[in-house]
Amino acid sequence: MSEGTDSRSGGSKNPSLLTVDNLAIRFGNAPANTVDGISFAVDRGETLCIVGESGCGKSISALALMGLLPMPPAKIAGGRVSFDQRDLLTLPAKARADLRGDRMAMIFQEPMTSLNPAFRIGDQIAEGVLRHRAISQADARRRALQMLDRVKIPAAAERLDDYPHQLSGGMRQRVMIAMALANDPDLLIADEPTTALDVTIQAQILELMKTLQEETGTALIMITHDLGVVAEIADQVAVMYAGRIVEQGPVEAIFDDPQHPYTIGLMSSLPSLGERQSRLTTISGMVPTIETMPSGCRFAPRCPFVRETCITRAPELTSMSPGHLAACHFAPLETHMVEAV
Amino acid sequence: MKHFAQDTILETRSLGRNFTRGGGLFQQRTVVRAVDGVDLTVRRGETLAIVGESGCGKSTLARTLVRLLEPTSGQVLYEGSDIAHLAARSMRKLRKDLQFVFQDPFSSLNPRMTVGAIVEEPLTIHTRDGKPARQQKVAGLLQRVGLRPSMADRYPHEFSGGQRQRIGIARALASEPKVIVADEPVSALDVSVQAQVINLLEDLKTEFSLTLVLIAHDLAVIRHMSDRVAVMYLGEIVEIGDTETVYGAPRHPYTQALMRAIPVPAPGLRSMQADLPGDIPSPLNPPSGCRFHTRCRHADANCGTKRPALEPTEGLREVACHHWQKIAASLSPQKQEPPRSAAAAKRFSLYREWSRKNKSKGPSSAPGVTTTQRKDNNA
Ligand SMILES: Nc1ncnc2c1ncn2[C@@H]1O[C@H](COP(=O)(O)OP(=O)(O)OP(=O)(O)O)[C@@H](O)[C@H]1O
Ligand SMILES: Nc1ncnc2c1ncn2[C@@H]1O[C@H](COP(=O)(O)OP(=O)(O)O)[C@@H](O)[C@H]1O
Ligand code: SF4
Ligand code: SF4
Ligand SMILES: [Mg+2]
Ligand SMILES: [Mg+2]
Repeated sequence: MSEGTDSRSGGSKNPSLLTVDNLAIRFGNAPANTVDGISFAVDRGETLCIVGESGCGKSISALALMGLLPMPPAKIAGGRVSFDQRDLLTLPAKARADLRGDRMAMIFQEPMTSLNPAFRIGDQIAEGVLRHRAISQADARRRALQMLDRVKIPAAAERLDDYPHQLSGGMRQRVMIAMALANDPDLLIADEPTTALDVTIQAQILELMKTLQEETGTALIMITHDLGVVAEIADQVAVMYAGRIVEQGPVEAIFDDPQHPYTIGLMSSLPSLGERQSRLTTISGMVPTIETMPSGCRFAPRCPFVRETCITRAPELTSMSPGHLAACHFAPLETHMVEAV
Repeated sequence: MKHFAQDTILETRSLGRNFTRGGGLFQQRTVVRAVDGVDLTVRRGETLAIVGESGCGKSTLARTLVRLLEPTSGQVLYEGSDIAHLAARSMRKLRKDLQFVFQDPFSSLNPRMTVGAIVEEPLTIHTRDGKPARQQKVAGLLQRVGLRPSMADRYPHEFSGGQRQRIGIARALASEPKVIVADEPVSALDVSVQAQVINLLEDLKTEFSLTLVLIAHDLAVIRHMSDRVAVMYLGEIVEIGDTETVYGAPRHPYTQALMRAIPVPAPGLRSMQADLPGDIPSPLNPPSGCRFHTRCRHADANCGTKRPALEPTEGLREVACHHWQKIAASLSPQKQEPPRSAAAAKRFSLYREWSRKNKSKGPSSAPGVTTTQRKDNNA
C-alpha cells in the first residue's frame, strides 16, 4: 500500500493525529467483513461522531483502534491505522498497552465494564496514573482528586474513597471520564457514553466533555446512535451502515445537505419536536445479517431507489462538495431520480 | 382531534404504591414511595403520555393502572368501578379490556412458546372460539402487525427486536381490548424500526378505536404520538395538559429543564443546556416540600417545606409549582428544527415518494416481513 493514495488521510500537509485507512474486521469464518473498509482521519482538538444503528460495527471499530478487539474470534482483515505517525496495527502488544490509557483512552457505554466494583474510585484513578507515570502514591492520589474536581463531582475529597456502587449512573460516567483523562491523552474514544443516562444527566455529561475538550485539546471520537447528540457535539460526522461508512463530512453538511438514502431515511424516521407530522417516513425492512450481506450496495435491500447497478456493484465514497462524501451510485438524488409515479 | 367531548375511561384517585426494601437482620427497613398521590384521568379514545426520568415511577403507575400491581393507597377506576374490588366476572372483563405492552421485547415473551401460541393464549382465555377459529385469528393478527402468518411456529429468539415488539402488540390486540397501556414500547428499538412500530401503533389505535396510555422518555416520540402528556418527577405528577400546550409553553420548571435538555438534530441550534444541576434525588429519601426544590433555580424557602398541589392554570393544564405564574415570564421559546435547504427538501420528498411507490408494488418490501435469523426462500 503506497503512501498518499488516499487524499482524505491527508499525507501531504499536517498529518492527522489518527488516520484510519480501509480498516476491515471479520469474525471467524463469516462470509463477509463485519467492518468493511472504513477510512477517516481525526485531528487534534476535533470531534468526530460515528453514528449508526445497533450492530453496524461502531463498537468493534473502536475496540480495533484501541487494540482491544477479541482476536480470535475477530481478525483484522485489512487496512492501516496510524496514530501520531505510528503504525498501530503492526505495533507489538507491549507498546500498544503502553499507549492505552496514556496517549489514547476509551470510555464505554456501561461504566461498570471498566470500573472494578471491589476498589475505591480514587485508587482506581490513581492506579491508572501510576501505570504510566513515575510519580509517588501521594501525587497520584492528588491527581485523582484533581480529576474528580474537574469532572465536577461534588465534595470530591469525600468521594475519593467511595466504591462504584455508591455512585449514581451519571456520577460513574464522570468517574470514567476522570479516569480516561487523567493522563491527558491525545485521543479519547467514547462509545455511547450517555446512552444509558437520562436526558438531563446526558446534557450535563455532554457539556462536561465539550468543556474538557476545549481545555485539553484532546481529539474525540464519539460513537452514538443519536442524531441529536451528533448535532450537538460533532465537527465531523461519519454515518455507518452495515459495516461501511455511507456518508461523511462536516456536521453542517450532513444535517443541511444529506446525500445518502440511508442518512435521509434515518432523518425521516425521527419524530420532530416541531409541528406534528401525520405519519413518519420509515426505512422498510431491517439490517442484513452477516450471512445475508449483499455483495453490492449493502443498503440495496432497503433502499427505495435501488436499481440493477446497486446490486452488482458497491458504490465508492465520492465527493459531493469539499470534504463531504457519499457512497451512492445515484447521489445527488435530485439529478438522477425523477418523481415517482 | 383535540377538545372533542370525551368521557373518562380510566381514572386514578390519590393513587399510591410503595415498595419496602431491606428489613432483614442488619438492614434498616426503607419505604420507596414509587407513586405518591396521583390523580389522573384517561379519556376515551385519547393517547395520554407519561414522561419522566428513570425511577420516577412511570412503570409502577402503568402497572397499577392495569392491576399488574396492587395500589398501596387510593383507587383505580375503570369505567367508574374500583378495580380492586371487582367480582370474578368483572375481573375477567377487565383483563380482556386492559392490555399491557412491555418495554423489553427481549424478555417479555415466553421463550419456550411459539409465536402462534403466544398470540393465541389470550384468545383461549377470553373467547369461546374453537382451535380453527383461533388459528385463523392468530394469522390475521400476525399479518396485521406486519409479520408473515407462516412465522407462527417459530420461537421469539428467532426474531429481531422490532419483530418481537410486533408480536407483543399482536398478543395485546388479541383480546380486542379497549385500552392499551404501553410501557416504553419503542425505547429499545433503533430509530428506523422505532418509526415502523410508531406508525403501526397509530394505525391500530384508529382502526380498533383504542385508548392508549403511553409511557416514554423520548420527548419527540411523545410529541408525535400523544394528545395529552403528564410529566412525573419522583412519584408525583408535576404538570399535565394538552401536548401542544405543554410543549409550546411548559410551565413547571422541571418540564422546562427537560425540554431544554433534549439535543435537537440541527447543528445550527446547538442549544442544549445543562441547567439542571445535580442528580435525581433518591426516591428512598425524597426532598421535603416540593420534591424538585433541590434542583430548581426558582426555589425559595417556602418550596422546601410546603408541598405544591396540582392546580389548574390556563387552558386545561395543571401545574404543581408555587411560583408558576412568576416563572412563566422567564420562558425560553420552544426548540424546533429549522427548515431544510431546497435541495435537501427535494431529496426528502423523493425518498418519501419512492418509498410509497415501492410499498404499493408488493408485499416483499413491506416492513418487517423479511427474517434475519433463518434463510427462508421457500416458506
Ligand atoms: N419491585 C420493586 N421493589 C422495590 N422497589 C421498586 C420495585 N419496582 C420499582 N421500584 C422502585 O420504585 C421507583 C419507581 O420505579 P419505576 O420502575 O416505576 O420507574 P420508571 O419511571 O418506570 O423508570 P425507568 O424509566 O427506569 O423505567 C424506583 O425507585 C424503583 O427503584
Ligand atoms: N464476538 C463476536 N462474534 C461474532 N460477531 C460479533 C462479535 N462481536 C460483535 N459481533 C457482530 O459485529 C457486529 C457489529 O457489532 P458492534 O460493533 O458491537 O455494533 P454497534 O455498532 O452496535 O456498536 C454485530 O453484527 C455483532 O453481532
Ligand atoms: S447505491 Fe443504489 S441501493 Fe445503494 S443507496 Fe444508492 S441508490 Fe440506494
Ligand atoms: S414549587 Fe418551588 S421548588 Fe418546586 S418547582 Fe416550583 S419554584 Fe421550583
Ligand atoms: Mg455498540
Ligand atoms: Mg420503567
